[in-house]
Amino acid sequence: MNKLNHTITRRKFLKTAAAGVALGLVGSPSFSVAKEEYDLAVISGEPVAATRKALEAMGGISHFVKKGQQVVLKPNMSFSRTPEFSATTHPLVVATVAQACIEAGAQQVLVLDHTLHRAELCLERAGIRDACKNIPGVHVLTLQERKFFREIKIPQGKVLERVEVMKDLLDNPVLINIPVAKSHSATGVSLGMKGLMGLIWDRESFHSQYNINQAIADLGTVIKPQLTILDATRALVSGGPGGPGEVKKPNLIIAGIDPVAVDSYGVSIVPWYGQNFKGRQVEHLLIAHQKGLGKIDIDQLKIFKEKV
Amino acid sequence: MRTIIQALSLLLFSTLFVLATYKLPDWLPADIYLRLDPLLGLNAVFAAREIIGRALYALVTIGGTLVIGRFFCAYVCPLGASIDFLDFLFFWKKKRPGLKSDASLRKIKFYLLITFISAAVVGLSLAFLMDPMSLLTRFYTFFIYPLAITLINLILDLLRPLFQALGWVNLSHLHYFQSVYYMTAITLLVFGGIIFLNRLVPRFWCRYLCPLGAFLSLISPLGLLKRRVNEDCNECLKCQKACPMGAVAEDPKETHLPECIQCRTCAKVCSQNAITFPTSFSLGGEYSKVDFSRRGFVYSLAGGLAVGFVATQTPFTLRQSKHQLIRAPGAIPETEFLRTCIRCGECMKSCLTNTLQPCLWESGFSGLWTPKMDPRLAPCDQNCNVCGKVCPTQAIRSLSLEEKTHAKVGTAVLRKEMCLVWAQNKLCLICDEICPYNAIVFRPVEGYRRPVVVASKCNGCGFCEQRCPVKGESAIVVMPEGEIRLKDGSYIKEAKKLELEFKPDPGDDKFIIEESGFKVEEKKEKSTLPTEKPQPKKPKGFL
Repeated sequence: MNKLNHTITRRKFLKTAAAGVALGLVGSPSFSVAKEEYDLAVISGEPVAATRKALEAMGGISHFVKKGQQVVLKPNMSFSRTPEFSATTHPLVVATVAQACIEAGAQQVLVLDHTLHRAELCLERAGIRDACKNIPGVHVLTLQERKFFREIKIPQGKVLERVEVMKDLLDNPVLINIPVAKSHSATGVSLGMKGLMGLIWDRESFHSQYNINQAIADLGTVIKPQLTILDATRALVSGGPGGPGEVKKPNLIIAGIDPVAVDSYGVSIVPWYGQNFKGRQVEHLLIAHQKGLGKIDIDQLKIFKEKV
Repeated sequence: MRTIIQALSLLLFSTLFVLATYKLPDWLPADIYLRLDPLLGLNAVFAAREIIGRALYALVTIGGTLVIGRFFCAYVCPLGASIDFLDFLFFWKKKRPGLKSDASLRKIKFYLLITFISAAVVGLSLAFLMDPMSLLTRFYTFFIYPLAITLINLILDLLRPLFQALGWVNLSHLHYFQSVYYMTAITLLVFGGIIFLNRLVPRFWCRYLCPLGAFLSLISPLGLLKRRVNEDCNECLKCQKACPMGAVAEDPKETHLPECIQCRTCAKVCSQNAITFPTSFSLGGEYSKVDFSRRGFVYSLAGGLAVGFVATQTPFTLRQSKHQLIRAPGAIPETEFLRTCIRCGECMKSCLTNTLQPCLWESGFSGLWTPKMDPRLAPCDQNCNVCGKVCPTQAIRSLSLEEKTHAKVGTAVLRKEMCLVWAQNKLCLICDEICPYNAIVFRPVEGYRRPVVVASKCNGCGFCEQRCPVKGESAIVVMPEGEIRLKDGSYIKEAKKLELEFKPDPGDDKFIIEESGFKVEEKKEKSTLPTEKPQPKKPKGFL
């Protein structure tokens, strides 16, 4: 317990320090944050403003999306729950990112998920389809049929040697993962890495056949989002992944290129099930880190923090 | 003119059928054709022994028939329209053998009507077998609808490369959910038989078999519009040959009024223009008589009573209170349910998830085609309440979502010997993950965290049973235990009384972690399967 307290203190210190630096930087308007290379952008504020700021802090959306490109956004809309349950990504966060992609000249933006509940209900309840309906070129779709998936090999897979992924991912589009922060009764938390399971056909074998934590890390070696934007405007800290459960409001958007780093930071922002954890304590993140998929120790990250 | 009205009616029927699905607006009575059917209404009212609100719509049909005559069969009935259309398609210009025993065959429909009504009086709902509205809705549900989805998906698949080339994103990802049902083949056979009988005489079904037609023909001679033939008639008998109902008597100037459906085919074919349909108050004398023998009447009455008795002589009758079936949420108590349900299949069509399936013999002869939930196939979604909305007799009550959530259909029971976690120490939690009510929790048992069902939070929706990754039968199954079946009154109140709670709340995951007395054990025997080590005071997934 003592050790944990100590950690928090150190982290708090770092946080404060980073925030201070960030504030200092923002103080001078001529300074362009795009030039600076940050591992993470952690923005506190309302969903739309925070998301915009986070994109800007990561070098602007045009850093990731070039004119005429295809973009796939992967929010979590797997459950027929309204946004306040925090089982799905905030619609405004998704819409903001989609809008930015279109503004950057994306040819089209597909917002995709393979849902657990009935697709019509997920689309209706999660609010993402509604939020995106007036943005031209953005299509919110759920793919529930095997014909929309194709098998690929996982050369570095330890338990997972092959997996059927959405065909739309195979034409190498820009993939932006927009998970929601939530607890998960098998994997501890369900953030970006776990959210990639929404892009494959057979999710159930992860639970029944394989060690799910290893399988998620294996999947991470073949599905690599260019950017992960973790919606921690709300966090379902118990009762996840489907809810109902306790919803906290960290009011944060966490963006980064490194999927493990984003998740690891996401682990640190709230107590899960009433306890504080570090990214290293989440098995699938640790395995992913050991596989070389990203950094897990957040005190070694360069973090841009701001409140909007 | 008549063909157009008929086609429009069939179109309306089909449109309402298509609309009878999730997000049916409250104001739209998708089951209106079934409500308008007086036979179904009578059947349900007699069998259930009470007035059913929606069945009162049938008074419109009865009233219309009293004023106009048996127009329903020619203009409104969608089965009649289907028969006419398919007749044209298959048997147009075919020479039909005709039937000598026409007059006695005609009586069959009356006997059937009497049988069905008397069976209803002793509490057996039977009219569904041959009621045209019920029959056609069933045929649409179990055959036309799945077939249409298959064809549409096939076409979408064929055109998909084109959609992709054109960059039509939505169309190139479009796929419709394929509903499947247990009794498609039987339903097709019945309908196919009805159409095939047309090979013998046109509208064979309507002339000889249709019990609704029989009911309407009993009152139709009171109608005001009647066929009249004037002196220009040269007795060419064209009308007699053309009449699809065989309603033109030996003497072509006379009409068997109960059989006349006012289609006016006779007027159209008459070369003398001698046939009109003026208003008339006369009752038509001997030609308006419905002729069935006293013996036939008694036989069919006795038959109906006997069938009513025999059909309920199954062990199921005694087990009605202990039945194994999971009925739809809002289904009234089993005995009343069997009496009131008219087996139209509308609930199964409208069911968003396809969990509602027709029974074959599971609840005896008296339960043929009644809806049951098949949670292994699909769950009941907590956001959908459409089955009650479309039920024309309210055997499944129309409930608000809140009420429906409390209409518990059963309780999930975990079979430990099959469960991957209990039996094989695997890291499975799908039932917990999917449960919309947090009714499944992980509790520490001998150092392991094991899934357990909290019965007071489970409303039997079946998500767990459907998703359970165990092959074959599920390791967690919904049993009727704890179901709430109310004829009237609030399910919410009843659930409160029973101390049940289906509200989304934080659940007790927290409780497990903070207050559980996990035993700290050293490594158990190693298994080749991925096993979980006991993790004291840590939720799953954390190291």
